[in-house]
Amino acid sequence: MSLAIINGSPRGKKSNSKILIEHFLAGYRSQSNHENISVSYLIKSDQQKEHLASFSGSTNVILIFPLYTDCMPGMVKAFFEQIILLKEKPQNLGFIVQSGFPEAIHSVYVERYLQKLTLRLGCNYLGTVIKGGVEGIQVMPDSMTRKVFSKFRELGAHFAQHGEFSPAMVKQLKSPLRMSKLQQTGYRLVSLTGLTNFYWNSNLRKNGAWEKRFDKPYA
Amino acid sequence: MNLTILNGGPTEADGSFALYCSTLSEKLGQTHTLQHFMLDKMETKQCIGCWNCWWKTPGICTLVDDAEQALHAVVHTDLLIFASPITAGFTSSTLKTFQDRLVSLLHPYIQLVKGECHHRKRYDKYPDFALLLQKEPNTDAEDIEIITDIYKRLAVNFHTSLKYVWFTETTKMEDISHELSHN
Ligand SMILES: Cc1cc2nc3c(=O)[nH]c(=O)nc-3n(C[C@H](O)[C@H](O)[C@H](O)COP(=O)(O)O)c2cc1C
Repeated sequence: MSLAIINGSPRGKKSNSKILIEHFLAGYRSQSNHENISVSYLIKSDQQKEHLASFSGSTNVILIFPLYTDCMPGMVKAFFEQIILLKEKPQNLGFIVQSGFPEAIHSVYVERYLQKLTLRLGCNYLGTVIKGGVEGIQVMPDSMTRKVFSKFRELGAHFAQHGEFSPAMVKQLKSPLRMSKLQQTGYRLVSLTGLTNFYWNSNLRKNGAWEKRFDKPYA
Repeated sequence: MNLTILNGGPTEADGSFALYCSTLSEKLGQTHTLQHFMLDKMETKQCIGCWNCWWKTPGICTLVDDAEQALHAVVHTDLLIFASPITAGFTSSTLKTFQDRLVSLLHPYIQLVKGECHHRKRYDKYPDFALLLQKEPNTDAEDIEIITDIYKRLAVNFHTSLKYVWFTETTKMEDISHELSHN
């Protein structure tokens, strides 16, 4: 059994996807002696041949990517256009889609596409793990990321043991699908303090671009 | 009306998709102001998620290539036509790669729209969306539903709506022309 992780983030090694995968693999390795794990980065376009080889040559393939304009990044679509032409396909194919917005609802549309694509490829569909609210994990304090990371480790450990995404973890990570009325009210209240835009504002200030934040250069 | 076609198809002159698009743009250009971007012939790099367009040079992507002229057109058009042959069940990577660059036209601040998080507008107005698709041999009704649903979501993020879905196989150009003239 071999496992190929394919990272479809345009940020490559600086991606949030990479961090989530590290936790997944830590869990995986804790339950498995299988050495046959490969991790590749689609952004390395000079390694296209290797990407295709590790896709078609592995038993299990997990492709992770950030939601980009409500779908897969353009470079991930380019990869799909390649793998659809391959003769050799992996036995099992699964996906992890993570996004900036906190609700899973943004990613459930591309999930339908991924399921259909897997059917077209003739692979067994392992499912799609959806996790919202991921932008910012690199600057969040440990207390805010601890739970998510431990869920990804559990996801990996379960995968090593059972060859599937843990249904319980998938369900937990996908929550909330939408914000409840209470969460919406909470969000509105917090946004009055400016806290919801803290990430953007602190970077705007750091770059001396604060005054220009409402610019409309093409108007 | 101002129209912009983002053509994500292969642009070799004898291809049926290219032919449909060029004939359509000629036809529509007679009564509307139209810009037709052949993305295949332009250099449009993959967005690398650096957020420079949001927090360094607000509204301007710092990747240097041909995308800016098309981004400028998007801001000034009334209807944005996403044109693509369907490949592997979705619009082309050429189109999708350009689409990723559209984020520079939004503002980073997040607001609730119908109870969901979305980015606030950078510009006062965004164009209506249209899809012009060419089916691949195994395209079925479910594929079309998946594609249109995703573009409807994109429209929500861009404070607009998906107004038309056309197919090169079955939509007559006169009908497109008629629809647009009566709106
Ligand atoms: C061009 C672009 C488009 C994006 N589109 C969406 C989107 O439609 N919905 C969303 O929730 N997040 C969106 N995001 C946010 C990313 O999904 C989020 O930042 C993710 O954690 C990045 O992961 P990475 O570091 O692995 O690339 C977008 C980010 C970029 C750069």
